Amino acid sequence: MSKNLSELSGRKGVEENLFDKMGKLAIETGAPSEEDLETLANEFLIGKSTAFGTTTFYDFLKPENKGKKAYACNGSACLCAGTQPAVIAQLKTKFKAEEIGHMTCLGRCHENSAFYYNGTNYSGNSIKNIDEIVTNKSQKIDSYHCEAVGNVVLTETYEGLANHYAPFKSALKKDPTKILEEIKTSGIRGRGGAGFPMGSKLEFCKNVDNETKFIICNADEGDPGAYSDRYLLEQRPHSVLFGMMISGYVTGASWGILYIRAEYPESVAIIENAIQELRDADLIGENIDESGFNFDLKVIQAQGSYICGEETALINSIEGQRPEVRVRPPYPAVQGLFNKPTVVNNVETLAAVHFIIKNGGSAYAEIGTGKSTGTKLICLDSFFNRPGVYEIEMGVSLNSVINDLGQGFKEPVKALHIGGPLGGIVPEKKFGDLTIDFESFSTNGFLLGHASVVSIPETFPMIEYLEHLFDFASYESCGKCFPCRLGTKRGQELMTKAITGEHKIDRYLLEDLLHTLEVGSLCAHGGGIPLPIKNTLAYFDDELSDYFAN
Amino acid sequence: MNKTAYINDRLYELNTGETILSFVKRHMNDKAIPTLCDAPNLDPFGACRVCSVDVAMEAGGKTKTLASCHTPVSENSYIYTDTDNIHRLRKNIIELVLTDHPLDCLTCEVNGNCELQDVAAQVGIRDVRYPAGDNHLHYEKDKSHPYMTSDLSKCINCYRCVRACDEVQGEFILSMSGRGFDSKIIKGLDNSFMDSDCVSCGACAQACPTSAISDVFQSKSVTSAEKTRTICTYCGVGCNLEVSTKNGEILSIQAPYEAEANQGHTCLKGRYAFKFYNHPDRLKSPMIKKNGKLEEVSWEEVYNHLAQKFTSIKKEHGPDAIAGISSARTPNEENYLMQKFMRAVIGTNNIDCCARVCHSPTALGMQRTFGTGAATNSIEDLDHTDCILICGANPTDAHPVTGARIKQTAMKGATLIVIDPRRIELAKYAQHHLQLRPGTNVALLNMMMYYIFSAGLEDKEFLDKRCEDHEMLREKILGLDIDEMEQITGVEKEKVKAAAIAYASANAAMEFHGLGVTEQSQGTFTVMQLADLAMITGNIGKKGAGVNPLRGQNNVQGAADMGAQPHQGAGYHDVTDPILNERYNTFYGTKVPQHIGYKIPEMFNAAINGDLKSMWIIGEDVVQTDPNTNKVMKALSSLDMLVVQELFMTETAKMADVLLPGASFLEKSGTFTNGERRIQKVQQVVEPIKGTKSDGQIIIDVMNRMGYQQPDYTPDGVLAEISQIVPFFAGVTWNNLGENGKQWPVAKDGTDSKMIHIEEFKRGKGKLYYFDFKESPEIEEHGKDYPYIITTNRELEHYNCGAMTRRTGNVELLTEDVLLIHPNDAKANHIEDGDMVCVESPRGKVDIKSFVTNEVKPGILSSTFHFPEVMLNIITSDVTDTEALCPEYKVVSCRIRKSKGKYKSV
Ligand SMILES: Cc1cc2nc3c(=O)[nH]c(=O)nc-3n(C[C@H](O)[C@H](O)[C@H](O)COP(=O)(O)O)c2cc1C
Ligand code: SF4
Ligand code: SF4
Ligand code: SF4
Ligand code: SF4
Ligand code: FES
Repeated sequence: MSKNLSELSGRKGVEENLFDKMGKLAIETGAPSEEDLETLANEFLIGKSTAFGTTTFYDFLKPENKGKKAYACNGSACLCAGTQPAVIAQLKTKFKAEEIGHMTCLGRCHENSAFYYNGTNYSGNSIKNIDEIVTNKSQKIDSYHCEAVGNVVLTETYEGLANHYAPFKSALKKDPTKILEEIKTSGIRGRGGAGFPMGSKLEFCKNVDNETKFIICNADEGDPGAYSDRYLLEQRPHSVLFGMMISGYVTGASWGILYIRAEYPESVAIIENAIQELRDADLIGENIDESGFNFDLKVIQAQGSYICGEETALINSIEGQRPEVRVRPPYPAVQGLFNKPTVVNNVETLAAVHFIIKNGGSAYAEIGTGKSTGTKLICLDSFFNRPGVYEIEMGVSLNSVINDLGQGFKEPVKALHIGGPLGGIVPEKKFGDLTIDFESFSTNGFLLGHASVVSIPETFPMIEYLEHLFDFASYESCGKCFPCRLGTKRGQELMTKAITGEHKIDRYLLEDLLHTLEVGSLCAHGGGIPLPIKNTLAYFDDELSDYFAN
Repeated sequence: MNKTAYINDRLYELNTGETILSFVKRHMNDKAIPTLCDAPNLDPFGACRVCSVDVAMEAGGKTKTLASCHTPVSENSYIYTDTDNIHRLRKNIIELVLTDHPLDCLTCEVNGNCELQDVAAQVGIRDVRYPAGDNHLHYEKDKSHPYMTSDLSKCINCYRCVRACDEVQGEFILSMSGRGFDSKIIKGLDNSFMDSDCVSCGACAQACPTSAISDVFQSKSVTSAEKTRTICTYCGVGCNLEVSTKNGEILSIQAPYEAEANQGHTCLKGRYAFKFYNHPDRLKSPMIKKNGKLEEVSWEEVYNHLAQKFTSIKKEHGPDAIAGISSARTPNEENYLMQKFMRAVIGTNNIDCCARVCHSPTALGMQRTFGTGAATNSIEDLDHTDCILICGANPTDAHPVTGARIKQTAMKGATLIVIDPRRIELAKYAQHHLQLRPGTNVALLNMMMYYIFSAGLEDKEFLDKRCEDHEMLREKILGLDIDEMEQITGVEKEKVKAAAIAYASANAAMEFHGLGVTEQSQGTFTVMQLADLAMITGNIGKKGAGVNPLRGQNNVQGAADMGAQPHQGAGYHDVTDPILNERYNTFYGTKVPQHIGYKIPEMFNAAINGDLKSMWIIGEDVVQTDPNTNKVMKALSSLDMLVVQELFMTETAKMADVLLPGASFLEKSGTFTNGERRIQKVQQVVEPIKGTKSDGQIIIDVMNRMGYQQPDYTPDGVLAEISQIVPFFAGVTWNNLGENGKQWPVAKDGTDSKMIHIEEFKRGKGKLYYFDFKESPEIEEHGKDYPYIITTNRELEHYNCGAMTRRTGNVELLTEDVLLIHPNDAKANHIEDGDMVCVESPRGKVDIKSFVTNEVKPGILSSTFHFPEVMLNIITSDVTDTEALCPEYKVVSCRIRKSKGKYKSV
């Protein structure tokens, strides 16, 4: 979190983006060369250490990434599905072991067996055609079930550019304060995990006096098991862009940046295409529709790091700094990207704005429950009889999601991991207690988060799931704060050593560790990982007791 | 009613915006909350989390654990610093840290002064419960560098070093690599310290809470029991140093965080270049030349010899046959004594100091325009400026701590304008770099003023109220042929226009200038133009503005203040004014001369033509550093008696008839006055090494031998004398200077001045002057035959003639003088990087190694004169500033060719 580096990076504006350049330099060989980094460092005056330090942070820029050709998914859903050993074995018939890397969740949780090769994602049965894939780059877009129950907000059919953007054009004729009022009236809360009211965030930013402001779309959907943002980016790109444009108009920002994860190559292409459509139709650029409002959009592709989904890490990432979490205050709305006021919103939050502007804030507020208004996308993994993306109204029962939408499980499932790696582990006996909204989850000791759903089958040992969680947390820790950098690693070691039988877990020590992580961590990564672990300890004590010394 | 909040259920007053940590520290004590990643001069970072506290929003309410270092206090909140919850958290964090830390405290260099050790003790950690796991204890030590060291097995990943390098020095040498558990501190592209671009400022070593980054002097080890605060001797920034000693030997130096002049920072010269002080080369006995050879003699003998010789020369040739060059390296007190000796004891105004060759045009130019020859504002004003104009200065090398601060200000968004022929470090950060031909400052500044007047951006109210001759200036400036000026300076007029508008439109714009302004034939005029520029834009008398010379030598301000100049005595009184002369007569109790004495270049001329018979030079290697070496040597060898008072056998000392071994700044007490008029205490750290004496005592001894009663040297005693004759020292006493000194003028009651000319100028109204550009005689006469221009400058690692810095580890960092040459010129002359180049001027020639770079423009060369191996001043000229006689080091006509080997004509 260097203010100087933010400023220096910002001097070149959004077009000449440092992080973007780092990414481009890695395309050829998998990591930028030292000479290239030196040139970048001189161009941006950031010092060689910054250029090098930044690139070594990312899975797809670090020197070890050199020469990697194919990547197998190692996300929670593919892990639980147990499909990956076979995928790797198949890949090894084509690539040397050192040419195979891993990516954490390609968003193919509905059919698993996911891998990435040469700019394209594959899943399901594709691995069987590896010969063909390697020889003539065959594109296989996945398909999954998609359905809305109740009011349709996010999955609404796209009606073409002119119709879709008509509400935007009429908004430009109104006072931004009026538009903000609608968003506040809607009661919409952020879908990225924290559930912060979108209207308040926009208002903070609007109230800061600054010529330069930014809107960022957080499309880093890192939670293994989640692919609802991917759905919106690929199937409803103009809803996402619409939301950013309105946010820009409300706050007085003139740039919108979409930070899209590297693991979604198709999303990048589709969004870029949609931006071009807007440009061709003069819906972005200078003085849009003679309103005096200037707004442009740019895609920045992430490079493989879960923590970049955390908004301040994400901002550092775009600046080409190491994406370590920043302290707050200052909040991004006051001092964000390049030290300028910035609003960061999740893809799904932004995509809902179209409905709000078109139908009014109160129409949206009428959907859902009191404090959790609107609809929510929920994605079900391959353990369900009917995996896919579902739009439901907030407040629908979890059982109805499992049984009516998912049509039950293919095999016995003992728990659902809902809301990403930092979400709670809901044991089967609690399914009946929950409804899909922020309050129901938190009062029951879980977390709605981004509402991804990963099934843990009866056969999967919970100790291994704990090891996986700690391992993920440690691997993805930014390393800035002591509790998380050290604690997640030690947690993983405790689990691994318990599995191998080398060392039984000292329960008090584990409790101390979880306490340290939970209350001591700087961000919700280290702070959040104890939740699923504590859930597991509470609900699967019998299964785990052998691993403990006391 | 002020805002309040509770600490452990007691109510305290709180400052708006303050963090919990500072609130608690302020009301309880510094140790009330442990911290590891926090540091006094760095922004809050929130990494270690041991500073966590519990906070409730109402009495008995639910508490939340928050990191105190970066959380602002909420009004009426209840802060608990010592709950069981907090104890548990802190202890467990430290336990985690210790799972990846060597447990060899007892043999660690910082044992007893390690923040991790302290915090571990504070939280009461006893053992580590985790089974042995992955760790980083295998990291190897980095011992590549003469000063900086690292042992990253001791690193706790607090980022303090990274942040110090970024937020304090602005160098970005350090960062982390990797992420999470594998993150590791790197230098550059994971190089060693030596292979990185580290400038050895030591900020990281001072910031590091453990021994993970340190220095060869182990400056954090506590075995150094005694600490003395003093002032750096290497430049006009006046950094405060905290020197650790043991058994009378200096161990290491650190920078006090609360020092106003440097806020916990230094450059490598101040922090690390002290080993010269007891170097075997130190002169340790007085010497007299006998039969052409310098022989060691006793102090008794040398004093008698001096007294006798001075008396006889005076008798035979009159007092004006004797001249003195005082040293701007030495304290005010010694400068005062030296000028007093020349004036009151010898009876001549032939006293000058090295200000002559650096900032004499500044003193003169600012006196003429404002009435005072000193910076108008303070360095801290950088926090209040939104535009910085740097003209002819390279602060990151020559005034590194101020340079770093300017860089910080520029990186935080202030507009930066650099006027310099070289693409200096700061030019890279500048929005406007006006890369003019050396010697054309006057033309360029006229262009700036032209665009300001043309755009109507002048501050009319300020001009009407506070200045005179505004209409004259305006008329002259608007009558200029701008295209001609563009031709002369070689800078596109659009660029100048943009810079002029940026400067004039700023709320507060701050000027800095250095020797690139003064060491020119139109040096004084340029200073006066800089004053014009500030006045026409109303940039005087307000925070974040002003004209601020970056004074070269550490006490060059003080040397002039004390009267080490031939036309003004102590306190700048005109020596020719009969009333003021009378004051001096009364005060010194003897008759002092009333005619102006020789300036340094005039001394050399007088020596050559036989009028001057003896010179006493203190701490100045004129042979190596004054221009036209051959002429200087000729002058010195024409004297009957050359007295040199020195630390080392410099090129000048070699020519001495009498050699006096002086003491270094570490061995004596007195005061230095920095570039912002701050009078600060230099305090003796160690006794003068055996055989040497403090320079002040030497002068006093000679005074007494020659029959003038002057009490023995004490800093407070001499300062008390000074304060009676120098008006702006009226309220200065040794005791009231305190830790941070006082900025003159200091009123009788001790009130000092951060800014001057606030309501009105010292001279009443500010006087505006206009000057035509005039080509330097050097170019006029020799430009045709010698088509290249070489301009001289300084490098960070060395100080002037290098007598001191070449005797420290700095010499391993910069080993020689090099010639900067543009790739086109190199190519045209078949010169490759690293080739020896013969540079020839009408005065002579030198051989020097080339460094091909586009830091200079085609046709322009640049070099330094830190090393006697090159003796660059063989080629520099006799041309001086027309007003102050400051030599024109910055514009030297020359030609170049590839040379075969070494050539040196001395
Ligand atoms: C470890 C971590 C990972 C996160 N990852 C994401 C993510 O992938 N996508 C996202 O939108 N928000 C993510 N967030 C939340 C963001 O920090 C931020 O709250 C969100 O983008 C704000 O948008 P919203 O208000 O629309 O939800 C993450 C937070 C943490 C602590
Ligand atoms: S909790 Fe983890 S991810 Fe978050 S700041 Fe700390 S180290 Fe980084
Ligand atoms: S010594 Fe100074 S420049 Fe070098 S790494 Fe440390 S802070 Fe940076
Ligand atoms: S080297 Fe020192 S200052 Fe730097 S991160 Fe490690 S412990 Fe902290
Ligand atoms: S900046 Fe100047 S005063 Fe400060 S340490 Fe360096 S040389 Fe000494
Ligand atoms: S001192 Fe507050 S987190 Fe380190």
